[in-house]
Amino acid sequence: MSAPLLSIEALTLNPGGNPILHGLSVTLKVGGSLAILGANGAGKSSLLRAVMGLEQPEAGRVLLDGQDLVTTRARDRAALGIGFCPEGRRLFPGLTVEETLAVGFVGPTRQRRMRIDEMLDMFPALAGKRRDRAWSLSGGQQQMLAIARAIMNQPRLVLLDEPTLGLAPMIIDEVLDIIRTITATGTGVLLAEQNVGPALRVAEDVIVLVRGSSVHTGPARALSPSQAAKLMLSSG
Amino acid sequence: MGASIPQLLVNGVALGAAYALIALGFVLVINAVGVVMAGGFVAVTITEYLTPWANDNLPDLAFIGPRASAVGLGLVILPLTMVVMAVLGLLFSALAYAPLRHRPPVSVFISTIAVGLILQHGANAVFGPEPRVGPPLVVDGNFALGPITLSIQQLSVIFAAGCLITGTGLLLSRSQLGRQLRAVAQDPEMAEAIGISAGHCIAITFALAVALAGSAGMLLSNQFFVAPSDGGLFMLKAYIAVTVGGWGRLDGAAFAALLIGVFEVMMAAFVSYVMAEALLYAGVLLVLLVRPSGLLRETIQRRT
Amino acid sequence: MKAGSLRNVGIMAALLIAPVAFALSAGGYEQRIMTLAGIYAIAVLGYQLIFGRLGALSLAQGSFFGIGAYTTGLLGIHLDWAFPASFLASLIIPAAIACIIAIPVLRLESHYFALATLGISQIALLVGVNWTEGTGGANGLYGVPPLRILGTALDSSEAMLVVVWCVLASAVLAFSCLVKGRAAHRLTLLREAPEAAVTAGIDIGARRLSLFVASAAFGGAAGALQAHSIGVVSPAVLEFQVMVSILAMTVIGGRGHPAGAILGAVLLVHLPEWFRFLEAHYLVAYGAALLVAVIIMPEGLAGLFRRWLVTQERWAPEPPRTSKPEVPTTLAVLHLVGLCKRYGGVVALDNVSITVVPGEILGLIGPNGSGKSTLINVASGLQTLDAGEIRLGNLDLTGMPAHGRARVGLSRTFQTPVQALGLSPLESVLAACPAGLDERRAERHAAACLSAAGLTAPAVPTTSLSPAEARRLDLARALASGPAVLLLDEPAAGLTPAERDDLACCLKHLTDSGLGLLLVDHTMDFLLPLADRVICLATGSVVAEGPPSMVARDPAAIAAYFGEPPP
Repeated sequence: MSAPLLSIEALTLNPGGNPILHGLSVTLKVGGSLAILGANGAGKSSLLRAVMGLEQPEAGRVLLDGQDLVTTRARDRAALGIGFCPEGRRLFPGLTVEETLAVGFVGPTRQRRMRIDEMLDMFPALAGKRRDRAWSLSGGQQQMLAIARAIMNQPRLVLLDEPTLGLAPMIIDEVLDIIRTITATGTGVLLAEQNVGPALRVAEDVIVLVRGSSVHTGPARALSPSQAAKLMLSSG
Repeated sequence: MGASIPQLLVNGVALGAAYALIALGFVLVINAVGVVMAGGFVAVTITEYLTPWANDNLPDLAFIGPRASAVGLGLVILPLTMVVMAVLGLLFSALAYAPLRHRPPVSVFISTIAVGLILQHGANAVFGPEPRVGPPLVVDGNFALGPITLSIQQLSVIFAAGCLITGTGLLLSRSQLGRQLRAVAQDPEMAEAIGISAGHCIAITFALAVALAGSAGMLLSNQFFVAPSDGGLFMLKAYIAVTVGGWGRLDGAAFAALLIGVFEVMMAAFVSYVMAEALLYAGVLLVLLVRPSGLLRETIQRRT
Repeated sequence: MKAGSLRNVGIMAALLIAPVAFALSAGGYEQRIMTLAGIYAIAVLGYQLIFGRLGALSLAQGSFFGIGAYTTGLLGIHLDWAFPASFLASLIIPAAIACIIAIPVLRLESHYFALATLGISQIALLVGVNWTEGTGGANGLYGVPPLRILGTALDSSEAMLVVVWCVLASAVLAFSCLVKGRAAHRLTLLREAPEAAVTAGIDIGARRLSLFVASAAFGGAAGALQAHSIGVVSPAVLEFQVMVSILAMTVIGGRGHPAGAILGAVLLVHLPEWFRFLEAHYLVAYGAALLVAVIIMPEGLAGLFRRWLVTQERWAPEPPRTSKPEVPTTLAVLHLVGLCKRYGGVVALDNVSITVVPGEILGLIGPNGSGKSTLINVASGLQTLDAGEIRLGNLDLTGMPAHGRARVGLSRTFQTPVQALGLSPLESVLAACPAGLDERRAERHAAACLSAAGLTAPAVPTTSLSPAEARRLDLARALASGPAVLLLDEPAAGLTPAERDDLACCLKHLTDSGLGLLLVDHTMDFLLPLADRVICLATGSVVAEGPPSMVARDPAAIAAYFGEPPP
């Protein structure tokens, strides 16, 4: 069995004095996809932020391909191959679609232009919107842009925080297709979601978080949406 | 001066162009870190010392060729001044901003004033308190366009300022660095998460802002006799331009600054300098009255 | 008198007497410097009202100083007015000017406010320098008569010193009266947690006006004394340098406490003397001192000694003896009709209509991004509506500012509890009590609100409250204004099951008196048993409405929430 892509060991997180994660351990294999289900406050976003390096854990380790990231800053983790699509998308409102994709890209101009064209092909919702500013896009388009931004540098691991937030069912299907395409290229996916049904349809494995601890792990197909919802929304 | 309207217009645009350079720097810092770089005006007054000093102490251009010595060192001094000012900008960033970046913006307002005081009076100590007139950018003299006589210096100021403003605009909108500066200004944490160094971008923004303000000082040094206390006046004009032009908008700030320059020169020629200033401030107050702003809008900005 | 207050008085007395004693023994030169320090301290005290307490960066304080100086000078030279008439005029005229310019200027956001005050100060300087017939122009006014009390001219340096510091002492007294008790708590709440303050009914505009006018009076008084002290009034008193000095003294001395005004003024007036060896370049040291102070002493010198300057009262109020509330709850129906709100391309609310009746608990559920928080923000007035109406009983709240809505009976809590760390829990709730209540009734009311919200240990400092207790404090504060309808934004998030049960009990109790609750939450175990009616929002629209059991089984709600297509 090959080494996991991402290994989170006994992670404890208390941002601002609030205990959010309690000794959580998670592994993700290379090319795997893991859905992290949980209600608000369960710790999903904090987990992803800790992996990205935006929160410092009290205890525990985050290992990418065996490398301990403890001293690595967020921007260096991005350089190591972690793509981040945060909750609420957090696009740069004044940047156009093209600029948003370009700004984080590492590589020569020619390559950048090609990669942007690739992205616009992969995300038909953004076709023809090259020069539109991010704030003027619809919710679904904004979500697509946020995901595209996260994969511009072809990362090894993509962190998606509630990508289906506030989207209509049809758009959600498009997002799921994109996620499947990403996993098909061998990129690892960590998907944090409240939206149980879509998450279980697209991920291979699932972990359910309640108040910072795991109450269930296993393959996604072995868990029904209503079971998952019950677990998530209960007192734990 | 008994000048004609086209001459006055040119003078006004030249003054306005210099104001626009300062205002641009202001807006860059406001957008990048949300603070008013109150002490930045010092860049204007320091270059007023630096420029004459450089003019006296750098070798002239005669070595390039016989025609070259007729041209002053202005074209050489301008980029040199900007480089020195950029370094000063990095100093501002390191001393006034970096230690206070987690504090409320008003602390940085004060710290920039403090750094401004240190630099201003340090410069006084080095150069002596009497500012002198600097060299023209290209040459002195006038240029006849039909019946109208225009000052070459003013025209060169307009041209140079125009190049700098356009250059800054292009830098921000077309270059990768510019995109990164804008991204950091809009969401520094997210910029870090996609691999951009927010700290470097902020330092560069300060350097650019102070370099622009310094260039304004250099361009004005031939025309205006600026005393150290006038630095505050420049800051105020820039602050007005930034506010009236739309808080945080580069194009608005530059345009408003131009208008202020033209207004000031025209008013001063037809009425009096004092009246010009008074009307300017009164006008600004009027604009502020009409603006529908309040506490709540600012609070919401912080939350979303 | 409480022990803490006695200590405060003792410290202030020492700070007022020691410098005078020192200067009196040191000779004429030192006396003149200390007189100047006292004068600046008065101006700084005034600045602390608007900048220190309220956090509004006014850049006009230097001008009020200058205007006061010119008023005294002109009245003294041309009209032979003497103390106290000219002094009073030097208080009133700056205050009147402040009042006139304040009304349009004070509602501005901070940077606009700073700019407006800066513009005003520049106009004052222009007038001072150029109105030669009136102010003597660039040369200024000469021969300002010395201060006269009861016919005796006080022109010796000792006399001026004592007079100035006596005026300073009265200024300190005036300051304490202006900013005491609940008024002080309201200002701290406004400064540290503006959203909580505004939604508790505190009118920032009115506060700024009164403090701005007061600060102008203090500045004018200082200027008047300056005019008498040196006998000359030049335009230099109107220059920006004066403002920078006052700002520096406020920051270095400490902006919250009168002790800071004295410490800052004494220190910074003496600084040029100490750096005299640098001659004209002492300003470099000045700038360096200011920079260092701002970086390492965010609360100034007074902040360093804060432990000895008691600011928080820590005593537990007695539980209310009667069950009759001090602030009776009115009953009113909340109508939210056709609310629409978008941000750029994203629709947050799409024609949403909701009604909350007295005594009802209305639950609002929906996935993240469905518009629930926006709804509360728009209803409480923290965000503007694009279209729609908000009515409470007979009142139309649609255009009303947030603080107005709180006063007529609409309160809210926050998803992340906002706290003013500088206030104890009791003080936080007191700050939210209606201003008209007298001290005793306000305290009883605050205690009642705290116990109604289930916070049993209000004597604990705010910084050590657990997240659950912080939510209780938020709730208590929301109750303090005596609301008819309360909007609760995820009150159960992050609570243990036991804490949730407590909260549910508490909320049920609140509705007994007729309070209507709009309850937004994700925890179904908590919300469904508690609510009388439930509404489900998704992508900005209402998709289901009815009794909890019905909505929980409604296919549209399930689809929206759980992302499954309806069967």
